[in-house]
Amino acid sequence: MNSSAPSSINRTAVLGLSIWVGVLVLLSHWMGRQALHWLPVPASNAAPLVDGLFSLETAIGTFVFGAVLSVLVWVLLFNRAEKYDESDAVPIEGNTRLEVIWTAIPLVLVMAIAVDAMRVNHRLGVLGPMEHIHAHSPIEMAGGYAADRLPPEQIEVIARQWSWEFRYSGRNVSSTELHLPVNQPVSFRLSSDDVLHGFYIPAFRLKQDVIPGRAIDFNLTPTREGRYRLRDSQFSGTWFAANQADVVVESPEAHAAWLNQAAAQPLQSGLSLAVQEYTARQQRPHPGWATVPPAPPPQVNVPGSADLPHDA
Amino acid sequence: MTIATFPPEPPPPANWSRYLGFSTDAKVIGIQYIVTAFFFFLIGGLLAMVIRGELITPAADLVDRSVYNGIYTMHGTIMLFLFIFPVLNGLNNLLIPTMIGAPDMAFPRLNTAAFWLVPVFGLLLIGSFFVPGGPAAAGWWSYPPVSIQNPLGHLINGEAMWILAVALSGVSSIMGAVNFVTTILRMRAPGMTLFRMPVFCWTALAAQSLQLIGLPALTGGAVMLLMDLSFGTSFYRPEGGGDPVLYQHFFWFYSHPAVYVIILPVFGIFSELFPVYSRKPLFGYVYVALASFIIVGLGLIVWVHHMFPSGVAQWMRDLFMATTMLIAVPTGVKVFAWLGTLWGGKLRLTTPMLFCIGGLVNFVFAGITGVMLATVPVDIHVSNTYFVVGHFHYVIYGAAVMGIFAAIYHWFPKFTGRMPYEGLGKLHCLLTFAGANLNFLPMHPLGLMGMPRRVSSYDPEFAFWNVLASLGAFLLGVSIIPFLLNMISSWIRGPRATHNPWNAIGLEWLLPSPPPEDNFGEEVPTVISRPYGYGSGEPLVEHQVEIERRLQLQEAAA
Amino acid sequence: MSSSLPVTAPQSDKPHGHINHNLTGFIIFLCSESVIFLAFFSGYAILKTSALDWLPPGVEGLEWRTPLLNTAVLISSSGTIMLAEHYKARDKLWLFRGFWLLTMLMGVYFLIGQAVEWHGLAFGFTAGTFGGTFYLLTGFHGLHVATGILLMTIMLIKSFIPGNYAGGEQGVQATSLFWHFVDVIWIILFVLIYVWQ
Repeated sequence: MNSSAPSSINRTAVLGLSIWVGVLVLLSHWMGRQALHWLPVPASNAAPLVDGLFSLETAIGTFVFGAVLSVLVWVLLFNRAEKYDESDAVPIEGNTRLEVIWTAIPLVLVMAIAVDAMRVNHRLGVLGPMEHIHAHSPIEMAGGYAADRLPPEQIEVIARQWSWEFRYSGRNVSSTELHLPVNQPVSFRLSSDDVLHGFYIPAFRLKQDVIPGRAIDFNLTPTREGRYRLRDSQFSGTWFAANQADVVVESPEAHAAWLNQAAAQPLQSGLSLAVQEYTARQQRPHPGWATVPPAPPPQVNVPGSADLPHDA
Repeated sequence: MTIATFPPEPPPPANWSRYLGFSTDAKVIGIQYIVTAFFFFLIGGLLAMVIRGELITPAADLVDRSVYNGIYTMHGTIMLFLFIFPVLNGLNNLLIPTMIGAPDMAFPRLNTAAFWLVPVFGLLLIGSFFVPGGPAAAGWWSYPPVSIQNPLGHLINGEAMWILAVALSGVSSIMGAVNFVTTILRMRAPGMTLFRMPVFCWTALAAQSLQLIGLPALTGGAVMLLMDLSFGTSFYRPEGGGDPVLYQHFFWFYSHPAVYVIILPVFGIFSELFPVYSRKPLFGYVYVALASFIIVGLGLIVWVHHMFPSGVAQWMRDLFMATTMLIAVPTGVKVFAWLGTLWGGKLRLTTPMLFCIGGLVNFVFAGITGVMLATVPVDIHVSNTYFVVGHFHYVIYGAAVMGIFAAIYHWFPKFTGRMPYEGLGKLHCLLTFAGANLNFLPMHPLGLMGMPRRVSSYDPEFAFWNVLASLGAFLLGVSIIPFLLNMISSWIRGPRATHNPWNAIGLEWLLPSPPPEDNFGEEVPTVISRPYGYGSGEPLVEHQVEIERRLQLQEAAA
Repeated sequence: MSSSLPVTAPQSDKPHGHINHNLTGFIIFLCSESVIFLAFFSGYAILKTSALDWLPPGVEGLEWRTPLLNTAVLISSSGTIMLAEHYKARDKLWLFRGFWLLTMLMGVYFLIGQAVEWHGLAFGFTAGTFGGTFYLLTGFHGLHVATGILLMTIMLIKSFIPGNYAGGEQGVQATSLFWHFVDVIWIILFVLIYVWQ
């Protein structure tokens, strides 16, 4: 594999390597941009932060994966033993300088990502605290929350096996479809009547486990009008997959109108797919394995819809 | 030591029935573990086929939801406790004594007992499918309160059997761990210092240390779960003042290190095989060895990354994010070491080598998604979604299972005395790599789009990727066929193997294939150089030339 | 050229004159066993510090004087077992057996004291997290005390077999180590449950 003088082999190698690294960088940048398409439409003020971080990690990941794959393809192409060659290769045992480099660079890289993520974390914290207050704590009992973050509207979210109930305590309205005004911070108080649930709205990029025995305050700001899905994300039993609700983000005027209308409506059974399926299931001769019966559907002013298309 | 009596005479042809009994020979127990594990692998795989059959359409139309939940719970439980841990213990049994020149494990009867617990708790788990109410159905994590709801109110129920089975599995594993650690620390051949020990033994030592430290925490948490389920206590019951999140801490304190228990031996396998099939020493052997223990240390302080959305304090999330990301560093050291080993080598693309390369590619991909999962803001979005399912299946199937297959093909000649068929092996490898990627890659966009995990039905927009994933799963099912055919027919009538068909360097390759019951017996060779001395021309042990010649004469005479 | 035969450590009657690794294995097992106690201790601490109504209704606290006496007995029994080993090392077998038996009796006294305490308590296993953790911790520890007494019984019986110690006295050492372990666990437990009230 010898050609001309060693210095020009090195130059060609360095040039080739630089071009290839450049290609990888471009590819990584492009993948980072593509990553944004793999996520749902961003609908809260947390979404751009989360998406940006994910995009950055996709780009870095593409570069690392591309580099490793390049090495593997190279050795598979150019370092194969000849057909009947049983001899050994050059006995290189290691290289301390390389070890230091490939320990230090990943260390710096992951710590940089961690620091960036911590900053995003704290900004998200400002937007939505994700702290919990232990049930029966003095602050809880007084019906309040840390005073400096008292939000304009607190919505009580009650998770059950298997339905979601939303109570607008200030307005005496309840529903099984969550309505929120766009661009206004909203605070939720998450509680569960029975087991662990997960309050997850993919379009908002936010998720919080709902823990029985605790009331968790959770803040966010929706930024895009539309209809989105709320999905139970912490396994909660037989009808876990069916424990979903719609989230409608609308203009403040539309929201106010909805609240007024809702307040006038009589209480009726809210949405609970589990209840419907359970009734059907019980008719079958061999329904299946044991299950906890679903909680009765919450009695609400507005059941909402289970059939309208959602944006994310 | 007298040359005339070394190596020991090869054993008489083996009797199949010893694999059904209570042998104390680690090599027999190793095969018992591996075969039992693959039996349960097939059961777990069958359950996976049902899962993917359900998920190929959005509606819950294949089985009842309660049945689906039981099936996915048992799929995870069986694959972890009845396949992965036993098969790795099987490899430990075969490889540790032979690699270090010991005649057997330190405690042979404890070894037998540890193995025989496996079919016992295996029967318990399979039996739980048939009790009223069905098997445990709260996921392989078994989080309370849902896992302690016990709808039928019976004392004997699927969840209780699950807890007992997991506890027995823990006992079996701890017995094994005590054995493996004592053997490695105390029974190495003369001249084999720790830094002349093969990396597989380093990673085994590291992994088994994690078992010893972590398992009792799981056992403790599980005992309290059983008390809550069956005896009315309230450790995790909020109505009684208990805390469901406390269980999560106990569970993950073990179960996170458990993933390193799974992957560290695979790191060991890669570290053993890449040198053989590149004819080059392992790059940076000392660093690879030490990195194993850095992973042990870090692996014990990252468990809360499984609980980021559970309501733990912000400072905890930051701390555990940082520790989790740090693990990428010693892991990276190993990955780069393998690349450094391959670089400039003389690669032979045998079946074991192909499995290692495929496993490495999948592992690097999984490592990247792992860093994403370590990042709290991203994790808040993708935790408990199919993104996580994709990530861990890439590690477990894409990397660990492929590594285990590599090990089986590589050491098959040593322990059965027969060569496996290359063609079937390569076919198995191709189908595995294709199937695994087709099955698990689509799970990532699903998770990013917001599809939760453990669901028996999903919104229609998730259908496309689910269909692809299911097709990949069925392909994986098919990929097992050439493997089983190969194993069975090669063992029965494959070509006889010499003592060192791969021309590898290691103590196990200085034994006949298969080795006699007490391996080197009294006459253990003295190790005089570091492992992986490819290209150096130095012998591994004293009198190596005579040993090799004697083995060749035996093989010629046979 | 080294041989594989060991030159120093005592041989057991195993084939090939291999060194007996039982004590190493047992120590490794004990380290692992300590983690389950650590898990229960941390569970107790977490539940206690985060609970609002820790003690069940009607329960003011735990009586600590009798448990303190039991603790003293248990700690002293660590002393007597050390004495027993001391005499064993000097081949004074009857003194060994005497102090060994004394240790066992002190262990039995402790267990009886535990049972008496349990019998007199106003709360049960299912009385909230306090009841659960109290009985779990003391019960699990009591199980270990009982196991220790059983092991000591076996060692005591074996001490009458002639030639029993030809292969070494790892059984006695391991049992004694286990007894000290049980003792240390109790001290932590006592501080956690009875002192920290």
